[in-house]
Parts: sequence; C-alpha cells; structure tokens
Amino acid sequence: MRSIKLAVLLLIAACVTTRAQTPATLPAGYIGSETCKICHEDIYNAFGKSPHQAIETNAKRGWMGRGCESCHGAAQKHTESASAADIRNPAKLVAAAADKICLTCHLNQPTHVGRLESSHAKDQVSCTSCHKVHANGPNGLVNRKPAAINEQCASCHTNVWAQFQRPNHHKLPEGAMSCVDCHNPHGSIRPAMAQTFAANEPGCLNCHGDKRGPFTFEHGPVRFEGCASCHEPHGSANPRMLVRQEVRIVCLECHASLPSVNTTGTIGVVPPSFHDLRSPRFQNCTVCHQKVHGSYVDRNLLR
Amino acid sequence: MSRLLALMLIVVPLFAQTPEPQAPKPASPPAEAAKTDTTAAAEAPSPVPSAESWLTGSIDVGYRWRTDVGGSLDTYRSIVNLGSGPKLLGADFTLTDPKHRAFDQIRVRANGWGDEPYQTVHLDAKKSKLYDFSADYRDMAYFNFLPSYADPLMSRGIVLNEQSFDTRRRLASFQLDLLPGNWFIPYFAYDRDSGSGTGATTFVTDTNEFPVPNTLRDQTNLYRGGVRFELRRFHATIEQGGTTFKDDQSVFQGSGSTNFGNVATPIFGQTTDLTNLLAAYGVRGTSVYSKGLFTASATPWLDVYGQFLYSQPDTNVNYQQTATGNLLLQSQLLFYTSQQYLVSAAAKLPHTSGSLGAEIRPLRRVRIVQSWLTDRLHSAGSAASTQTLAGTGASEQMAALLASSLVTNYSQEEVDLFFDATPKLTLRGGYRYVWGDANDAVLPPEGLMSSDQAKLRRNVGIGGVTYHPTQKITIRTDAEVASSGGAYFRTSLYDYQKVHAQARYQALTTLSLAADFTLLDNNNPVPGVNYDYRSQQESLSLFWSPAGGKMVDFQGSYTRSTLHSDIGYLIPQTLTPQTSLYRDNAHTATALFNVKLPHVEGIAPKLSAGGSFFISSGSRATSYYQPLATLWLPINKKISLFADWRYYGYGEAFYLYEGFRTNLVTTGLRFTR
Repeated sequence: MRSIKLAVLLLIAACVTTRAQTPATLPAGYIGSETCKICHEDIYNAFGKSPHQAIETNAKRGWMGRGCESCHGAAQKHTESASAADIRNPAKLVAAAADKICLTCHLNQPTHVGRLESSHAKDQVSCTSCHKVHANGPNGLVNRKPAAINEQCASCHTNVWAQFQRPNHHKLPEGAMSCVDCHNPHGSIRPAMAQTFAANEPGCLNCHGDKRGPFTFEHGPVRFEGCASCHEPHGSANPRMLVRQEVRIVCLECHASLPSVNTTGTIGVVPPSFHDLRSPRFQNCTVCHQKVHGSYVDRNLLR
Repeated sequence: MSRLLALMLIVVPLFAQTPEPQAPKPASPPAEAAKTDTTAAAEAPSPVPSAESWLTGSIDVGYRWRTDVGGSLDTYRSIVNLGSGPKLLGADFTLTDPKHRAFDQIRVRANGWGDEPYQTVHLDAKKSKLYDFSADYRDMAYFNFLPSYADPLMSRGIVLNEQSFDTRRRLASFQLDLLPGNWFIPYFAYDRDSGSGTGATTFVTDTNEFPVPNTLRDQTNLYRGGVRFELRRFHATIEQGGTTFKDDQSVFQGSGSTNFGNVATPIFGQTTDLTNLLAAYGVRGTSVYSKGLFTASATPWLDVYGQFLYSQPDTNVNYQQTATGNLLLQSQLLFYTSQQYLVSAAAKLPHTSGSLGAEIRPLRRVRIVQSWLTDRLHSAGSAASTQTLAGTGASEQMAALLASSLVTNYSQEEVDLFFDATPKLTLRGGYRYVWGDANDAVLPPEGLMSSDQAKLRRNVGIGGVTYHPTQKITIRTDAEVASSGGAYFRTSLYDYQKVHAQARYQALTTLSLAADFTLLDNNNPVPGVNYDYRSQQESLSLFWSPAGGKMVDFQGSYTRSTLHSDIGYLIPQTLTPQTSLYRDNAHTATALFNVKLPHVEGIAPKLSAGGSFFISSGSRATSYYQPLATLWLPINKKISLFADWRYYGYGEAFYLYEGFRTNLVTTGLRFTR
C-alpha cells in the first residue's frame, strides 16, 4: 500500500514537473507530449522516428509539443485519473470515427480522391488497419517491402492469396511484385480499386505496354471489361492465367454463334464461325487469331 | 517517511520554477491551425536523439544449385524458371546522414540479382521539406512454352507451342516530389516499360498457317509532371503527361527452307508451303493526358471528392510483308507464289473519365455517401492496304480501305447510407444504378456482320454489417444483389449475388484466427445465353505465437474454392447446341513453422519449414507442391549462414507430359550492419 502511494506521488510530481517545462501556451485540458512520455516512453520514442513526428515539431501544423493529443485528444483528465477510459483511443473507436481523426489532416491529399469508390472505406476498414500511427521505424507508417505488403494484405484476403499459390500467377509470392502494384488500397476510379496508367487507362498497362494500343481493330472486351474478361489476374491452373482450361472455350463462351433474344443486344455473338472444332487446327483460336488483344492491321485479328 | 521527505525535496524546487500562468487558448484542429500559422517557426529538433549508425541493413549473397528438372523443362521454365549460379538474393539497407546535407536518408532494397527471372531494385531518398525521390527498376523474364498450348500438331506427335515467347520486360520508374509537406508540391516523373526477345508465332494465310519465329521489341516512355495544392479545406492536383510508344515486332522465315504449315492435306490437288517470309510492324504512338483531382472539406459535415481524367493515345502503323511459296487466295481460287502486303493504319482513342462524390454527415451516427462516375471511350481507326499477288505468269493487285470504331459510354451512380447503430455495430445499405452503351463496328461490312451494339442497365442493392463486439472479434460482411436489363457480353455480370464476409478472432494473446468467405453467383437467363456461374471460396487462417514467438511460431491457411460455370453455344460446324461446362474444385494450403533450435556452442540456429500446395480437380485438374525449409545459423552479430531447400512439383491429370519436379538448394551468407 505504501509503495502505491509512493508511485502516485511520484506520478503527480512528475506531471507537475513536466507541466512546468512545457510551453506556457497549452490550451485548457492539454498537457503536452512530454507529460505523455512519462508513462508511455516507448511509444514516445518510437513516435520520434515516425513521419508523424512532424506534428510534434512543426509549429505550422498547430500541435507543436502536443503531437500525442492531436489524435488522442486533451489528456489532462487522463493524467489525473490514469484511467484508460479518460483518453480517446482511436483503436477502440468505430472505423469511421478513427478515420475522421486521420482525415482531419490527410483528407485533402491526392491519395484519398478515390475514397468514395474504395471498398475498404465502405467496409469500415480503418486507416489503422494497415498504417501504424506511432512508428514503423525506417519503413514509415506502412510496409514498403513487397513481401511485407503482400503478407499484410493476405492476412485479410486469405482466399486471394491462395490464388497466388496456383501455378500460373503474377509473381507476388516470389517478392517481385506487391498487391499495391495493381491495386490502390485507398480507392480508384477503376473497378476492384485497380491502379491506373496515364490518367485513366488500366493499371495492367504499367507493365504490359505492348497491349496498350490503340489498335486499328480493337477487341471489345479488352476495352469494355478489361483484362479480367479472359484472365484471372491473381492466378490460375490454366495456361496464361486464362479463365478457362483451353483458349477455344474462353472464346466460344462469347463467340457462341447463338444470338440472344435480348433486345439490348450482346456483342461478339455473331457472325457464326464455321470452323470444324474437331480439327486440332481450330482448337486453339489464337493460333490464327493471334492478335487477340487487338490488331494494328487486320480486322480478323490474324496479324 | 524518509522516502516522502525525499520526494518533497524534489517536488518543491520544481514548483518554484513554474512560470506565470497564462490564459489558455482554445484548441484548434490541426488543419485550421496550419492555415492560421503558416509563418510559424521552423521545425524544432526531434526530441529523440539519434545515435544510430549511418549505414544499417543487410545483404544476402549465396549460390543456388538446381537438380535436373524431371519432366517438362519448358513447363518448369514457364512457371518457376529459377536456375543455378551465384546470386545476390536480397539487399536492404539504409543510409542516414546525421548532418542532413544532401539527404536525410536513403533506403535501398534489391531482390533476386544474378540471372534471375525477377530482378528488382528500389531506392528512396529524401530530405525533409526539400525533396522525396524514388526510383524503381525491375527486370522480369517472360518465358512461356507450355507444350499443350497452341499446338495443332499434337495429334501428329509434334510438340510445338505456336504462341510461345522468351522475352524480358524492363520497367523503370522515377519520381521526384519537391517541397514535401508544403502546401504547394511540384512533382516530376518518368516511367519506361520495354520488352524484347524472341518467340514463335504463326503466319496466317487463307488456307494454312505456318509456325515461324518472331522477334519482339517494344518500348513505352511516360513523362509526367504536376503540382499538388494541399490546403486546409481543399486539395487540388493538376497533372499533365504524355507517352511515346514503339513496337517493332517482326516475323520471318529465311529462304532455303520450306515450311509446310499446319495443313498437310492437299487443297485443290496442291499442298501449300512457305519458302520465305519477312513481315515487319512499324508502330509508333504518342499520347497526351491530363489529370485533375480535388478533395474538399467543405463544412464539418460535408466532404467533397472529384476527379477528371482525359487521355488520348494514338498510333500510326506501317506494316510490310513479303512472302513466297505456294499459297492460295481462297476467295478467288488463285494460287500464287509471291505476295507483297502493305498496310498503313492509324488509330486514336480519346478517353474521358470523371467522378464526383460527397460524404455527408447529417447526424453523429449517420453518414450518406453519394457518388457518380463516368467512363467514355471512343476509339477510331483506319487502315489502307495494298496486296500484290504474283503467280505463274500473272499478277493481281488488290487495295482495301477499312474504318473501325469502338465506343463505350459507361456511367454509374451510387448512394450508401452508413449507420453506427452502436459503437460496436455499423450497418450499411445502398443502391447503385449502372448504365451504358457500347458499339463496335468495321466498315465496309464483311461477312454477315460489321457492327455490334449493346446496352448495359443494372440495378444493384447493397448491404453490409461491421460488428466489433469486443476488441478480440471483428466481423465484416457485405453483399450485393443485382438485376440487369442488358449487358455487353454473354459472360458479363447480369443477375448476380455477391457476398463477402470476414471474421477475425484473437482467441488468446498468442493465437489469432481469421476466416474469409466470398461468393459470386451470376445468372443470365436470357434465352440463347442461359449462363449459370457460381464461384465460392472459404478460407481459414491462424497465427500462433507462444511467448511472443521467442521460441516458436506458426502461421497457416487453408482455402477451399469451387467454380461452376455452364453456358450455351452452338458447335460451329453443325450448329447444334452445346453447353460449355467449366468446373474447378481446389484445395490450397500454406504454412510456415519457425522454431529456434537449442544453442550449439553459442550459436542459436533457427529453422523455418513449410510451403504450400494446390490440388484441384475439374476441367484442368492440377497439383502443385512447393515445400521449403530454411536453416539460419547466426555466426556472430553481423554474419549469418543460411541454407534453403525448395521443391517444386507440378502435375496435370490431362496433360501428363507437362508435369515437372525439381529441387533447389541455396546456401549463402547474410551480412548485417
């Protein structure tokens, strides 16, 4: 009992000491980060290496010497009671409320322009699910190495990561690529939060520039519904990451020679082909229609 | 009592140092303060003294041995492609300048150098308030020669993938941001994407197709620059960029050999052949694009977002082809011995996209998100061709002029309402309407059809729940139910239900569990289509780390996935209805077990073992095993010895000749500073 009393007295003394040393202009209820350091020294020290340290040290941002309280709110009551209930803990807030704290500073940045299209935001995945606010050492606030990024994404998207274990896949498990090479986790104007190339073109073209065109004779699905019309971008047991086991099946499901009765129409169904699919010659359409992504010179995509 | 006295001795003098109390100022949010105090003093020094080394990091070097590949080496190279030899397996280091002269910090990481299929290096350099610079370079091998793919001669026992390639793609990216952290941030960037290599393709004539070698060479350069204005209540980014593109693919067959192609049977009593070929694409392209982004915190209860994106790539093509042999123009039943085919073509693709949206918070617990998005793409192309055919004593010249267009106008509007029912439960409901039209045409018409058009009309209901009953449990679900009145393609989303659910449970401080479920059920009941598609995945993962992982930890996952697809089509040669069936039932597991082994003469070895497997049945039954084990032996604080073993085993039920298996052993040293 005596030692508890002593600890409380020491805490009060330390608070008073620190109070005496902090800027005299602290608003009511605020105690300054130096006071927080007394009990949370490890976090305080880690925060010193974080990019967020700018809040603490840059007077322009309005929280100089009060970096902790910029997110956790005024902490005087907490220092007096030493109760976790008397301090705002963003990790325990609903995602929207936690995000609001982050977005107070970060909303007006280009990163968040696609926020309304982001499924992360819609599904209440808060900023702190991926970003470590206090520190991540020299990595900044979030993982930067491809392998670490992939591990982080896979911790939620387990079944997507399973697709990368299929034989034909983009080289994420090998550490040559990361999820954010193709997806923008903050949201994008393109479906599936896909990255973009040259303003509004599909992010796939960042690496597959030879498929960009524009082609004199386009293949509609490539432009209308993107590469995923025919390819499984995460991984597949099928060659070339196709959505079906053989090329002809991929093609025939659209080029079915079977007009639909839908009055709104369907593209690519006719004219009917008269190829004899029993012949091996016609069992892989891309043997002849090799420019399946679009042709510069031939309307039938033959060259 | 003596302790209390000592305490008083410390505290009392400190009270004496307390300055005169001043009237407290009201707290202001950081953004507001940023505006009111733009001329404030510069940054104060960090309260954390820096005593770190100027260079920290690690580098892994070693040597890899690969056993002979059992089975198909071509498939191994298409899927894995790791070889033997000395390697720079990885590097990750940071340079810190304590005096902050030219830079504060430079971080470099590299992966897989030494004739590896995926070689990468990345550099970040920064100096506070002055610049952020990043550079990235990747050299990726693209090899693909799957014996079962594109082989019309398989029935004759000839294994030849007529659509194979052996290329490398090199990607470089550089970006420089000036004045980071300022309200006004100019930036410049340059990206380059190039590919080169060789491959096999086909030279296609009316009645035969001839497998021939080709060379591939393309290059895209992207230049961009812009400025970001980041203010208290408003942000705007304006970017302007452009690209140059060239593609110099060529297809050839040297004289002196005769290529009989894929058709061995005589046509009108003659066999066709190719004795010489040179076809060259000369494609040159340019584009300009503009990007405008903005976000605004208009009021405490309203945020506004918008973007406008415009690009207009174009290409100009000069294609030249000369061929000799015994060839047939089927439409005129004309055999010819030489052909010259020249095409001059051009295409342009103006593409406009934009979005506008707002998040409104009328009540503390309620948020309304409204967004509108549009994407408009109008492609136009033209090609003028001249074909000269020369036969025995006669020649014929044919000219053609074709024009093409591809148009799509896509729009969607969505409104979502979020309600924080309790601090632990958030409900979401919404509605999305998607509409669009598309047109694909080539003129003059040829065959039965030269123009296709379709409309897209879709109503989507949206719902979601996020439940966070305790700090240890999080459950997220969202669902979409859609009904369509039209779609662009037979396989497009039509009447569909989409469900995604995730749960995470921190069962113990040392054990966490996660589950993931996705379902997509898509049906197009329109007669003539009758599309029935269902894809489902269930995953379970766990992470076990007793005693903070000091001695042992384990992470593993298991995923079960099924895919079922039925869609009707007509068999072309008989025009009889048929159903395309696709099935995929797969089991996938990953695991990694780390254990610290007992000390041996002061060395604390660490063993990691695990890997993954994938086993599927159905339309392309496949198995793929990748077990691994790694042993780490720290020799001292700065050097560790490691040995790594991996096995790759691949097999297919239908294409047995594509299977392979091999072992890879790598040993090396990690130097750490």
